[in-house]
This record gives sequence, C-alpha cells and structure tokens, in this order.
Amino acid sequence: MRLLNILTTVYLLITLTAVITGGYFIYRKLVSEIDFELGMELERQIEAYAQRISNGLSPSALENDRLQITELPYDLEEEALVLSDTIAYHDPMNREEKQLKASKSYKIGDKHYRISYYNLVVEAEDITETVVYTMVLVFLIQIIFVVFFFRSISNRVLRPFQNTLKKIKQFDFGANEPLVFEETKISEFDQLNGFLEKMTQKLLIDYRQIKEFSENISHEIQTPTAVVGGKLENLLNSEITEDQAVLIYAAYQNNEKIHRIVKSLGLLAKLQNAEFDTSSKIDLSEILEKSIELISELVILSELKFNADIRPEVFVNMHPSVAEIMFSNLLSNAVKHNFKGGWIKVSLSPHQLLVSNSGKSLTKKTDELKGRFKKESSNSDSVGLGLAIVNQICKTYHFQFDYSVSKDDIHTITIDF
Amino acid sequence: MKVLLIEDNKEMILNIIKYLSQEGMICEVAENLFDAQDKILSFEYDCILLDLTLPDGNGLSLLKELKRLESKPDVLIISAKNSLEDKLLGLDLGADDYLPKPFHLAELLARIKAIYRRTKLGGTEVLVFEEIQVQYQNLLASVHGKQLDLTKKEFDLLVFLITNKNRVLGKSAIAQHLWGDYTDNLSNFDFVYQHIKNLRKKIAEAGGRDYLSTVYGIGYKFGANQS
Repeated sequence: MRLLNILTTVYLLITLTAVITGGYFIYRKLVSEIDFELGMELERQIEAYAQRISNGLSPSALENDRLQITELPYDLEEEALVLSDTIAYHDPMNREEKQLKASKSYKIGDKHYRISYYNLVVEAEDITETVVYTMVLVFLIQIIFVVFFFRSISNRVLRPFQNTLKKIKQFDFGANEPLVFEETKISEFDQLNGFLEKMTQKLLIDYRQIKEFSENISHEIQTPTAVVGGKLENLLNSEITEDQAVLIYAAYQNNEKIHRIVKSLGLLAKLQNAEFDTSSKIDLSEILEKSIELISELVILSELKFNADIRPEVFVNMHPSVAEIMFSNLLSNAVKHNFKGGWIKVSLSPHQLLVSNSGKSLTKKTDELKGRFKKESSNSDSVGLGLAIVNQICKTYHFQFDYSVSKDDIHTITIDF
Repeated sequence: MKVLLIEDNKEMILNIIKYLSQEGMICEVAENLFDAQDKILSFEYDCILLDLTLPDGNGLSLLKELKRLESKPDVLIISAKNSLEDKLLGLDLGADDYLPKPFHLAELLARIKAIYRRTKLGGTEVLVFEEIQVQYQNLLASVHGKQLDLTKKEFDLLVFLITNKNRVLGKSAIAQHLWGDYTDNLSNFDFVYQHIKNLRKKIAEAGGRDYLSTVYGIGYKFGANQS
C-alpha cells in the first residue's frame, strides 16, 4: 500500500470518528439548548398567564388545549418551575404528541394556582436527521478536500522521499557513483539522504576494496604459483631419481591445487559482488547442450550411461559464463562421484534443471556439502568448492537449489529457476 | 624461431627461457613496456609473449603499435588476470591467443608452435617424428605412410606429445591441454591414461614404435631414445 494512501485512509478514518463524536455532542447540545429555550419560552408564557390572572381574568376563561390551570390548596408552598416531557393531545395535528410541559404555581390573591403550559418539542428524529445530514455534508467536503488538496500537498511534501527511493533503486555498484541528493528543506528527509549519501560512499569504498582484493589476489597469487609450477616443470625435466620425481610431482600437483582454490575463491567473490551482468536472457538449453558435448567424452571413458532430456529454448536471465560454470560443475561432479557402469540423467524444463546420477552413499549431510571446502571424500585433488560455487550461483540468481540422496544412493540435484 | 618475452617477473622469465631454449628457440626479454617498444622497433621477432601487467603500463597498449609493423609477429598474451574482458579485448586488438597464468610450460610451447603454424605456415606444415607424420591441415596422422584412425582428442594428444618431445609431461599438463578448464573439476586423470593407451595401441597397430614411456608414474615422455 502506498504511503499516501495509508495517510489518506488514516486521515479519513480519524475525520470520520471526529465527525461521529462531534455529531453526538452537537446532537446532545442541540437537544438541551432547544429544551432550555423552550422552557424559557414556556415560563414566560406561564408568567404572562399568571399576570393576566392577577389582573382579574378568570382562570377558566384562559384555559385552552395548551394551558391547564389547577387550583391548589393555599397552604401548599409555591412550586418552582418544573419542566417535564409528556404525551398530550395536540389539537392541530389531531393526535397525541410528545410535548414539553412547564408548570409553576403562583399565589395570586388568596388563590393558589398551578399553571401548566404545553408546547410541542422538536422531535429527536428531526434533530438526528439534521445532525446526520450536516455531518455527512461536512464529511463529504472533507473527502473532497483530502482528495484534491491534502493528497496533492502530501504528494509534494513526499516528493523528496519518492526521489530518494528512485535514486536508491537506480543505485548501481558498477557505476561507482555514490548517491547525491538535493536539499529538501525537510529535516527528516535531509537526515535520511545524508545518511544514505554517507552509506553509499562507504559501501562503494568497501566494494572497491573487495573487488580490488579479488582482482589482486589472482595476480598476486597466480604469479608465484606460476613461477613455482614452471620451476617444478623444469626440474622434472632434469636428471632426477624416482624419489625426487615423486616429491617434485607432489609439490607440482599441490601447487596446481592452490591455483584452483584461488581461482574458485575469486569466482565466488565475483559472484557475491554480483559482478556478472545479468541483464540479458540466455538460452540455457543451448549452453547445456554444449556442456554435455564437452563432458560426453569423459562420460564414455568412465563407462557411464548418459540420458538427457532437454527442452529447447529455455530462457533465463543469467550471465553465459556463469551458466557454463554451473553446468560444468554439476556435470563433472556427476561424472566424478560415480562408478563404472553407473548412469547420469539430465533434464531441463522451462522452470527446472535436474541432474541425477548413481553414486556412493554419503557420510556427510547434503546441506553440509554445499558449504565451502566441504567434501565427502578426503580425495586430495578435490578442492571442495564445486557445489559451493553452484550454491552461490543459485543464491546470486535467486534460484532454488536442492541436493538430495535417496536410500539407494541416487544423487539428485534440482535447480528451480 | 625468435621469441620476445615481455614479462616483469624475473623467475617467470627464467622458467620460460629455460624451457623454450631447450627447444632451440632464441628468447629475448623485455621487462617493461619501454624496453619492449625499443626491441620491437629494432628487431624482428616471430613471436611475442606479452604479459599485461607491466611496471610502466598495460601490455594491451603495445598491441596497437604492433599492428603498424610491416611484418607483424605472433602475439600470445600471458596474463595472470584471467578476465574474459581482457581476453576479448586482447584478441580484438590483434593478439593471436590468450594463455592465463599459471600455465604449464609444455602448454606454452604447444601454443607458440600452434600459432606459428597457423599464421606463418598457413597450417600446411607437416610435423615429422621418426616414422610418424602429422598433417595439421586435415588433421591426419600416419605411421610409415599408413593412416591412423585417431579421434580429435587423440590427434591433439599426439601433436602435444611430439611438440614436447623428450620432455616429462605431467598428467595434469596433458589433461589441461585436452580438456582445458574442465580438468579443474576432475580429480583423477584416468582419462589421460585412457587416451594414452588408445594412442599407443593405434600407433603399434600401424607398425610404429612405442615412443611413449611412463615416468615414475607421474607422467609421460615421448621420445626416440625411449625403449
């Protein structure tokens, strides 16, 4: 829900509550005011009648349908004004109506009269109707104002915020430019923007350092390993004994392993830094076919049965080299952790890649093997980063990666796009 | 064959010169861009091995200058920066191949020879080793004139072995040559053994001598003085 809509709704709800409570109090006030005014009016009337009686008019001559004069015993004290609601016959309307009755007693001469005077009250429904009508009108006017003025004003007030959001959305590490905001004159937004400016500057510096590190590490470590490798290769070609040859070769192979580790870690860092452009859709089917072609020879040499079911033209947003790496890691794992006469099955549908193969039973949990440097066998040539790389690729591209081993040692990897 | 090695790491230079000079190649060295420019303008080379990160600049800038030369030498970029962009840019600027560091010296030699065959000899050269003849152009190999029925990989392997004859070739170097980056994920090199076995068999069937020998279980050597 948009911020503006929330504000509008909340504002309208508050207004509605205010209008309803306001309406209730206005109703109460109206009723009491009317009663009060009416009471005053009735009192004046009663007083006028009392005056006329004291002027000598006979009470019975005055009496009409609104006026009632009763004589009270003289020794009773004079009654103060009493207002009460009553139902009385109303002549013009020809029916019983709710009326307000005011009565007061006067001692005029030697007589004691109670003069009661009736008048119609404004009916509660009428008041309610008026109040509701007014309030609904007020509320409607509020809505109109909110929609036209409040929203446009709020929109203007929130514009810097919207701009900030837009800029954050467009922020790109690759562009290497920290966010810069204009002053908004709203201190909270300026604080937010200032914070974001500082944060992006810091982020970019960190990012550059990591990037430089992953770039440098390949150069800084690859060069010495290249030197070591070359020395050992030259050494292998000199006059050496078998013992020496074995030692040299062991050093040579471990040197290669260092190279592979650095290369894989560099790749992992690159993936984590999201340095691969993912903007274009690529045909996964085509790349998978190529990867299978590359591995097919190893499949034959390993005496494996290979079964592929690849739906053509499966398009996914991915960097082509990353897709190649993913397939190459999965397929070579399937070949590597297999046995003679085993099988590999690969299927690709628009939303899923499935690689399953026969293999050995695991002693480690499959989730553990997704981690870095976790490997099932203590096979010294294996680096243990293959699945970690696939895992990272899936994380980077928000794919669902699952690895399971069934009871009959069928290893299945599924990747849902 | 005259090679100019443009590289700033002294040990690296020693390794490469040692390996290539055993092959009869004449190696000259430039340790920075300035020296390299000087040498390129003064002498003619068949091949230039170019490192990209040099103390006084990026090796890529040299490629533009090389383009202006009348007889352009082959250029093989050897770089520790294994980035796709560098590779594409380098090849685009006229380099003939790109070999990321670290590499096997045997692989370096094979690449230099391959480029040389492709650019200078138009691929028509016939490689002869004793009774074995290899024609690159049509990927044919024969023993005593009798054609061998080799797969593409076996052919590549034979060329690699002959190019690096009389050298100890580690299994990993052979695997790297045949399968490239795929070997990163392959822990054992049984596959190399399979290919070696098949190649041996095919040469023997055609009446060729067995020039391949196992070296202490760590690799292979291809040479006339073997058993």
